[in-house]
Order: sequence, then C-alpha cells, then structure tokens
Amino acid sequence: TPHSATPRIPERSQAVQKPGSVLEEARIRLHVSAVPESLPCREQEYQDVYNFVESKLLDGTGGCMYISGVPGTGKTATVHEVIRSLQQTVEEEGLPPFKYIEINGMKLTDPHQAYVQILKLLTGQKATADHAAALLEKRFSTPASKRETTVLLVDELDLLWTRKQNVMYSLFDWPTRKQAKLIVLAIANTMDLPERIMMNRVASRLGLTRMSFQPYTHKQLQQIITSRLNHVKAFDDDAIQLVARKVAALSGDARRCLDICRRATEICEFSSKSVECSLVRMYHVIEALEEMFSSPYVTAIRNASILEQAFLRAVIAEFRRSGLEEATFQQIYRQHIALCRIEGLQPPCMSETMAVCHRLGASRLLLVESSKNDLHLRVRINVSQDDIMYALKGE
Amino acid sequence: MEREETAKEKDMTCLEHHAYPEERFSELEKCTICRESQVSTLLSMFGERQHLGFPSIFVYGHTGTGKTYVLETLLRKLELPSAFVNCVECCTPRLLFEQILDQLHQHCPAPENEFSSYERCDSLNDFVRLFTRGILKQSLEKETFYIVLDKAEVLREMDANLLPGFLRLQELTESNTTVLFLTEIVWETFRPNTGCFEPLILYFPDYSKVELQRILSSDYPREYPAEFYSSYINILLGVFYTVCRDIKELRHLAALNFPKFCEPVIKGEAKESDSHKLWKNIEPHLKRAMQTVYLREISSSQWERIQQEDRESSQLKGLSAHAHVELPYYSKFLLIAAYLASYNPARTDKRFFLKHHGKIKKTDFLKKHEKTSNHLLGPKPFPLDRLLAILYSIVDSRVAPTANIFSQISSLVTLQLLTLVGHDDQLDGPKYKCTVSLDFIRAVARTVNFDIVRYLYDFL
Repeated sequence: TPHSATPRIPERSQAVQKPGSVLEEARIRLHVSAVPESLPCREQEYQDVYNFVESKLLDGTGGCMYISGVPGTGKTATVHEVIRSLQQTVEEEGLPPFKYIEINGMKLTDPHQAYVQILKLLTGQKATADHAAALLEKRFSTPASKRETTVLLVDELDLLWTRKQNVMYSLFDWPTRKQAKLIVLAIANTMDLPERIMMNRVASRLGLTRMSFQPYTHKQLQQIITSRLNHVKAFDDDAIQLVARKVAALSGDARRCLDICRRATEICEFSSKSVECSLVRMYHVIEALEEMFSSPYVTAIRNASILEQAFLRAVIAEFRRSGLEEATFQQIYRQHIALCRIEGLQPPCMSETMAVCHRLGASRLLLVESSKNDLHLRVRINVSQDDIMYALKGE
Repeated sequence: MEREETAKEKDMTCLEHHAYPEERFSELEKCTICRESQVSTLLSMFGERQHLGFPSIFVYGHTGTGKTYVLETLLRKLELPSAFVNCVECCTPRLLFEQILDQLHQHCPAPENEFSSYERCDSLNDFVRLFTRGILKQSLEKETFYIVLDKAEVLREMDANLLPGFLRLQELTESNTTVLFLTEIVWETFRPNTGCFEPLILYFPDYSKVELQRILSSDYPREYPAEFYSSYINILLGVFYTVCRDIKELRHLAALNFPKFCEPVIKGEAKESDSHKLWKNIEPHLKRAMQTVYLREISSSQWERIQQEDRESSQLKGLSAHAHVELPYYSKFLLIAAYLASYNPARTDKRFFLKHHGKIKKTDFLKKHEKTSNHLLGPKPFPLDRLLAILYSIVDSRVAPTANIFSQISSLVTLQLLTLVGHDDQLDGPKYKCTVSLDFIRAVARTVNFDIVRYLYDFL
C-alpha cells in the first residue's frame, strides 16, 4: 500500500437506482441527510451568524459565539450554510479568505484529542495531545503577518468538559489573542451551559455573544416539509399538518418530523397495492405516529404469559397491602400463591416464580436487584401502577 | 422378583446407546455406581458425536455427590473432546480463556515452552474468535466439543459478560459446543439481571444410606472378604450418617479407623463373623473419632499414631484446647475491661464499678428486652473512654495513661482479640468490640486473680 493512502470505502457494484414512484422520490427528499440549499424558517439566525463571522473576518480579529438549542432545531445545518455562503463570497473576491475547520466532541475518544484533531486539520501534523496543545499555543500566540483567519466550529461542546476544563479554556482563550485571528463557533444543547459547568474564567472568555435556537413551531415544521417535498405530490396537506402539530407539541424536533413522514410513506406503500396513484393520507400518518410515540409497556404486559400477569398483579397487591413502593420477593411470592389459588392456577414453585420475576426484570417492566439476594431481593415496578392495571383489565 | 425386573430395565436404559461399543458402557457403569439415571440422562443429552448438543447444561448438587467425578469419567471413557476447567484457579478471565484454548489444542504449559499458554487471549471477543479458529484447526467441526466449568459459582463474581457469553457460546462461535456448569448453588442465584440464555438444569441428588453403603463397600481391602468390610461400613454409617453424608469425609474416616476394627481379628480375640464383638470394640472408638478427627481437632496422622501405639485416644489435647495466650499484665486487664464493656449494658456500670453507688438492686435493672442473655446476642461496641474508665476501676493500683497503654490497645486489635468498629476515625473516639470467648477471658482473669463472673450482668 502507498504510504499516504487516503481512507475510502469500497464502491458499490451497481449504480444507484432512480426513484421509481412518487413515494420513493418523496422518501429521498425527506431523508434527514438530504439537507436543502437554504434552510426555511432559520433566516434570522442565519443572518445573525453570518453578520458575526463576516464582521470578524473584515476586521481581521477573533471572537467566540455560543449557539444553543434543543436537538433537531437546525443549529449545525445553519452554521454549515453560513460557512458555505461565506466561502462563496470569498471566491467572488468580496472577503478576505479564511480557513474553516470543524471538530465534534462526540467523535473524540477523549477531550484532549481535540488538540490533536485541530492541529491535524490546521497543519496536517500528527502529535500527541500534550505536544499538539503546546504547538497550537505557540501558533496562536506568535504574530505572523500573512496568516489568514481561521473559523473553528466546535460541535457538542459539553463533551469537551474535563475536571480542570483546560480544553475549553484554551479553545476560548486563543481567540482573545491579538495574533490568533481565530473565530470559534461553539454549539451545545443547553442554554445555560457556560453558567452551569464552566469555571468563571472560561465563561468570561466565551463572552456574551450567544444565540439560542428556539424549537420549531408547527407552522415552521409544516413549511419545512413542504419545502423539502418541493411540489412532489405525495402528501395530503392535512396529513402534513397533523405531523407538524404532533411533533411541535412534543419536542419541535425537525428530524423526528421527517422520520415520521418517511415512515408514513412506507406504510402507505405497503397498504396500497397500486403503485401509481398513492397519496399519504391522514390514517397513514396516524399509524406512523402511533408506532413512534406509543409506549411498548402496555403491549408487553398484554402479551405476557398468565403467570407473569399474575405476578404483576401480586406485586401491585403487595404494594397496596404495605403502602410502600418496594417489596421483597418473599412477600410477593406469598401474594402470588394466594392469587394463583383464587384463579385456579396450579400454584407455581419458588424457582418458577423466580424465573418469572427475572424475565419481567429483564424486560424492564420491573426493577429487580441482583439474583444473588435470593428470597430477599427487592422488587419495584418500572411502569406506573395505572398502566399495569389498564393493560391487565383491557382484555 | 419385581425389583429385579426394574433393575434390569434400568440397566437396559443405561446401556442402550448404539453409538458406542457395549464394553465401554459396562466399564463406565462400573466406575459410576448409583449414578445410572444421571449418566443415562447426560448420555442422551450428549447424543452421538456429530449430533448438535444443547448449548449449555447446568449441573448442581451437594458436595460429594459425584458431579465432577461422573462428568470426568464420562468424558474420558467415551473419549469425547473436552476441556475441564476449575474456575477457582482462574482468577481472571484471561486465565480461564487460555486454559480452555490450551486444552482445545492439547497444549500443556511445560518447562520446554516456558509455561506459556498456546495463545494470548484477553477478552471474550478474542476467545470466541480464537476458539472458532481452534475448532477448525483441530478439525472438530463434525464433533461436539465439551467445556466443563467446575465451581461455576465463581463466574458470577467475574466480568458481567462472562456467564451470558458462556451460556450461548454455541451460538456465538457457530460451532458444535456444549458448556457444562458444575456447582453446588441453584440456578436461580446465577441468573443475570439483563436476562440470558436459559441452560438445561440437571440435579444430582444426595446419596441415600443404602447407596453410600454400596459405594463405600465397593473398594474393600483385598486381604479381607467383602462382607467383612461391608459390615464395618454398616457400623461406620450407623455412627456417622446422622452428622455427615459427604462421601469424601466418610471414605476418609473409613480408611482411618479400619485398622482398629481389624485389631481383634489379628490378635485372635475374635473371628471375622463375630460381628457383635467387633461392634463393641469399634463403636466407642468411632464416637471418639467424631469429636476429634471429624472436627480436625487431631490430625489424621496423629490419630493413626495413637491407634498404632494403642494409647487412650482422648489423651491428646486438640487444637482448640490450646486457647491460651501469654499476655502482658496490663493487656490482660485491658482485655478483661473490654470484655466487661462489651457484654454489660452501660447503665449497669455504675453499680459494678463505683464504690458508693447507693442502693441499686438487681431487679431495678431488669428491663424486659434485657432479659435475654447478652452472651447470646454477641458483643456490643463500646467507646474508648468507657474501656479506660473500667480499666482504672478494676486495676487496684494507679495506672498512668501512658503511650504504652494505648499501644497495647491497638496491638490487641492487630491480634484480633479486639476489633475496631466503623473505620471512620482512627483518633477521635474510636469504638471497639471484644471478640474473645467466655472461657478464654475466664482463663485470663484467673491468672490475674480477678473474679470476672461477679462483674458480669448476665450471671447476676
């Protein structure tokens, strides 16, 4: 193998098939990875980030920006779009050129690997974490006349937390140097992350340039889906509205919204035999929503064996008797035997009941201790008592 | 007549296995007495060599019910490819894996290879990979490979992925492997919280008295007739069966006491058929053996020597009779004070140790819950101050609280005559417990002329 081989994955033997039907076309367009050219409903945030980076670029200084927001609100996509359009402007000779690098806290095995990664992206050099930190420190603190500005995107910032917080500190300290010309865009989920986990000296270096992405409203979600579909007539309008409203009420996560739509197209495809004139209707979406949001506990209890159901009843009976939320296996066993006698079941032996208890514990309907405690192992329920009663009664 | 028939049927079920020659079975049966049904169950589970065995079998039963022995002889006699590992020897997963791989490759750590194992294997992942490769290399794809894990209860304390991994090793390695777990503990206490593949469970029941008689009589010494030895075993079981059913222990006792049983025959005082005379001779001897050899008070070699020299067998002092420790003067008083502090309620200290305590009768003390003897409930913890206060009160002369006294307290702790309760603070107000018995403290008190019983609340 050549010394400087670039890693790559083997190519596929057949060419990618073109989408055959409207639904397949819609599914490709609705895929989470198919990020559109321009993000709808994020124009304001886009403009803010753009202005911030552009002003720093024009001034030739550095700075930090902290971007927060719950998952699936388009933080990373917006920043990527800003960078893309900035690079376009640079090509059109409107701006001084800059270098763009990106690290993700989730992709690093250790917070200190951030140094290694940044150095590699900046200069192509490989070094240990300590050495890389020293090299970067040297690079950002010495003046160099022809240095171009660097834009560093740090995704999943909260994972770069260490006890001494030295990684975060240096990330936010470098932009304050005069010679560094570094712009840091940090992305995380929680708004109050700087106040919560950062030391004062780190938080103050991060500065007050903050931006928070609000969760999408149902109108915005609806707009996102329609813009994604882009005149492909695959969805009923009401169906889109239902998805948007349901998701907006729960989390406002655009990814979740797209996933549900994709699932609905699949359900639609399965249910309608004729490939041609299929439109995703309300009931397809309702089915998809149910699949995504419904809790599997009730189904699990309904499909449990008779002895398992009797055991759950015994657990609840024991809780009612003692008034506590926890009981030992011994106590429940007594109830279990009595219940089985009443229902005319053959009273099971201790080993069988133990097996039943552990099967329920393994499926997380119950929380049980380690089996070494034998008769004294304590049992609690992981679902609400009402759910269990509802599941057991609804037959 | 009926019994004979059932016995015959049993033999039939055990012997019928067309995959193996008949003589091997009769040999096997000779080795495994009174385990016919277990052997036949195991054989039918194993099936023929090329059959797919059950992924895991869990064998349990008491100590000395022949679990290890039966499986070892079964695998050896039928020459099945197997690995036999004792989990107690394998304190890390690596040792366990490497032992199995060594036995799979028939590799033995020896001076020639500097006691190294066949392959290095650190994790379950590596083990599965290397094991699959080993099966192919040894061309065992067409046969069932048996892994026997003896003392499997140790596996529970090792890594959490070990037990579930071994339970479904067949599935993971995609080879014809059966894992057998041998243990004394029931399966219920093994089951991991996250669920696992359920093994087939096989129970080895205890031997009954008749079975024990049969097994023990089977290896009689060749100088004497079988009936003679069998009557000896009968007497032995009559004495020991109520306290001990462990076959190893019984066999050991049988071997130890047999010379004494034959003594009258050798001397010519009795004939071999004089069972009553022989019984009268051996019975008290066996009863004495129960108190001495069985509890390991006297070692077996000592017991043999006593028998040879014809001494009275209870002359020797046992291990537990040597409970006498030489202590310094103040240490003795410290220990006595600690004992009093541990077994007397703190309320009664005033009555016992102050000179002018006024009138306090015993009946005033007695509270209901204190009527149970403190000696039954065990020692209670006490603070250092109380220990010193009692010490000053029971020693007649003046005791200076020198460093010596305190170092004696801590050395009593290291000698395990006292224990430190709750290791939260070493210097500030430590609490102790006294861990010596009443007999011991009485002996100590006698040496310093202190009447300890007078000061104990329980004996008031």
